[in-house]
Amino acid sequence: MKENNKAFKLLFLLPVIVYTLLLILLPLVYVLFLSFCKSDSYGGIVYEFTLSNYLNIFDSTYLNIFFKSVSIALITTFICILISYPFAIILRKRNIHIKNLITKLIMLPFLTNSLIRTYGWIILLRKSGIINSGLIGMGIIKTPMSLMYNRFGIIVGMVYTLLPFMLLPICSSVFEIDNNIIDAAKDLGASKLQIFFKIILPQTISGVFNGSLMVFIPAIGFFFITDILGGGKIMIIGNLIKNQFLTARNWPFGSAIAIFLIIITFLLVKLYRKLGGKLDDLGGF
Amino acid sequence: MKNKFLNNLFVILVFLFLYLPIIVLIIYSFNSSQMNIIFENWTFDWYKEILHNSDLIEAFSNTLLVAVISTVTSTILGTISAYGLYKYEFPFKKLINGLIYIPIVIPEIVLGISLLSIYTLMKLQLSLVTIILSHIAFSIPFVIVSIRSNLTSQTKVLEEAAKDLGASPFKTFTKIILPTIMPGIVSGATLAFTLSLDDVVISYFTSGPGSLTLPLYIYSVIKTGITPDVNALTTIMLLVTFTILISITIIQSRKIRKEAL
Amino acid sequence: MKKIIIVLIIFIFLSGCTNNSIKNEVNVLNWSSYIPYQVITDFQNETGIKVNYGTYSSNEELLAKISSSKEGTYDLIFPSDYMIELMISKNMLDKIDTFRIYNINNINPLFLNQEFDMFNEYSLPFLAATSVLCVNREHIKDNIVKYNDLLNPKYKNNIVLLDDQRIVIGMALQANGYKMNETNEDALNKAKNWLLNINPNVKAFDSDSPKTLLITNEVDIGVIWNAEATIAKSYNDNIEIIYPSDGFAISLDNYAIVKGAKNKLNAYRFIDYLLRDDVQQKIIEEYPYINTTINNMNLSYEELNYILEHGSYVKNIGFNISKYDKVWAQIK
Repeated sequence: MKENNKAFKLLFLLPVIVYTLLLILLPLVYVLFLSFCKSDSYGGIVYEFTLSNYLNIFDSTYLNIFFKSVSIALITTFICILISYPFAIILRKRNIHIKNLITKLIMLPFLTNSLIRTYGWIILLRKSGIINSGLIGMGIIKTPMSLMYNRFGIIVGMVYTLLPFMLLPICSSVFEIDNNIIDAAKDLGASKLQIFFKIILPQTISGVFNGSLMVFIPAIGFFFITDILGGGKIMIIGNLIKNQFLTARNWPFGSAIAIFLIIITFLLVKLYRKLGGKLDDLGGF
Repeated sequence: MKNKFLNNLFVILVFLFLYLPIIVLIIYSFNSSQMNIIFENWTFDWYKEILHNSDLIEAFSNTLLVAVISTVTSTILGTISAYGLYKYEFPFKKLINGLIYIPIVIPEIVLGISLLSIYTLMKLQLSLVTIILSHIAFSIPFVIVSIRSNLTSQTKVLEEAAKDLGASPFKTFTKIILPTIMPGIVSGATLAFTLSLDDVVISYFTSGPGSLTLPLYIYSVIKTGITPDVNALTTIMLLVTFTILISITIIQSRKIRKEAL
Repeated sequence: MKKIIIVLIIFIFLSGCTNNSIKNEVNVLNWSSYIPYQVITDFQNETGIKVNYGTYSSNEELLAKISSSKEGTYDLIFPSDYMIELMISKNMLDKIDTFRIYNINNINPLFLNQEFDMFNEYSLPFLAATSVLCVNREHIKDNIVKYNDLLNPKYKNNIVLLDDQRIVIGMALQANGYKMNETNEDALNKAKNWLLNINPNVKAFDSDSPKTLLITNEVDIGVIWNAEATIAKSYNDNIEIIYPSDGFAISLDNYAIVKGAKNKLNAYRFIDYLLRDDVQQKIIEEYPYINTTINNMNLSYEELNYILEHGSYVKNIGFNISKYDKVWAQIK
């Protein structure tokens, strides 16, 4: 019986240990190792210790890209909150069937590929696209507006792709609020603003943080959105890493940027947990 | 009254935003022009054209193959792992537990390049196998997390009871644990499947010759212009998933109604 | 439990299959928008050889793909002139066995025995391209003949350039009166400043399909590959194609076999097929680059001579490439 138990324990623990060590820890340790190596000018990795890859990050050229990238990600996160919060509050009082249906409808676009949805935006946004020709047709504008190949296009694409990650956690935290508490507060004469700041906000703040984390972090890395909607002119950190690995052939520098991103991510996750967020809430929706 | 109207309008606008590009794609799948720029005439030809585009068919079947294999594998491994991590204590458990969350929180691109680096280091040829392996790598944590929500203190009580009644660990797992965590397994598997279908970034870094998947195919033609047969295929996929999702919702609502009665 | 084991076995079996079985295939990496899709399917139907076709949009991307993948991953690639030289020096190519290519005599000798591979040991010419200036005359009436004309602030957000560092920096060097392949720090600095000046006018860097931006009226000016320009003109007759007076780039793209290629014979068959006259015809019809075979010349000898005289090849500049990398990162 004891033997059997031990074998059982092994069976249930071995996969997760092998998996985490081989497919998570090892790759990351290797990237960390690479980030301290030198590269020759044609893509080879020279196994000599250097800190230059990290110092390189603080070159004004790259700092500029970091700054741009973070600002795009912040704007995206902010717009997502501005859309999701009112959305959830409006739907709070509906019955469970409608809420259920709405969650499903939010998830549905997810089931088509995000690239092809981004392509849908090209058809909509370009100068000869649907939005411009529609507005010209209605006589609202005379000459077509530049809606893509610029920051605007990128932010539309980012908000679009990441909005569900904000909508779902905010909806689920807002929907959980007990109606009786709000009714009681109303009976006691609380104003709408008071109800929002004293009851709704504190109960849903972790949902907001959860969503922000799930929007902000990917927004730093989604190189394909800047590629497609930004016209190769605006780079974010994702493009920078991709270029180091796939065209500039400087893996050590690319690795150093990746490590830098990991550090940012860890700090944000730490902050999230300090504010009372649970890690398990991040993956499940 | 006016307030209510504005509220509804807002909800409708949000959904319009979410669905607009999809509606456009569907409409353009019936467009006779190849360029996806101007809408010319209605046609069904692109739906027939799918069958003649062997690249597209290959990409689609590869995508399904990757999604099915990686979902099945990651669901099995994820289920075992979630239970193992819940039940047993062992050295470095905290470390392992922390590592699990990494694929969920770090940007996909970081996971992509680190997997690429390690495959190169191990001299693995990039192919469908490396894509499948990578998809398993990022799916397992999502499965574990969604199963965990079903493993509560109540499960412990049930488990103890089963043990007292003389059930073997194996029997306890199959008869007690599996049924309780089934909803978590199902939602974890669904999530893994969706993530795999949608993944662009990780496949982009870990693919090699002969491992064209749908996202990679689309990425390679997106700038030169996607032909409407891709729109047509997307429309079909959307129709299938929409039907499945709606029927699940209807079944769920019925269940809730029945329970209410 | 049994089920789990069965699934695992199937999984292992499947992964084994894709790895080990010998397949009749050839792994090709080529520029995007270079060979019509139909040509590849025709070849597959005719020979039964499966073409695993991948694309890249710059020589640097190709180099990165080849050097980071396991030997034997790819068979046939299409590097440009300077990349051939570099790849030979890095021992990344295998010699071409010309006896296996029956249609070799179709190649126009004008394009053989170039500096980068004097005796065509490692490469055979496939297509030549030049960078050209195109202007949509419907919207832009100004006289535009040289690169400096593009600096006019009127053209804000109205230009598309190739997403290719050697071509774009080369253009900036030529605009400042330097040679295309200059590596002198001063010259590169001037080129950088010139590019920073033109940057507000640039709407996009795109190598894959810059024509789309011109066709959809997203921009009115482009410095793009000649075939892209020709296609754009076929959609919009107002587009004028100009060879800039300060020079332009010529790029000769070549067939080359990757070192350790596993499907060499199939690669030769594919090259042979592509060299056939009727296939060449199909290729230039869809992608009107400069044809390098005798029977399908799409330019007269006068035009060709003009191009060879005024255009410059991009050359291998060795470790100086890191200077170019730096400039490129600064302007984008």
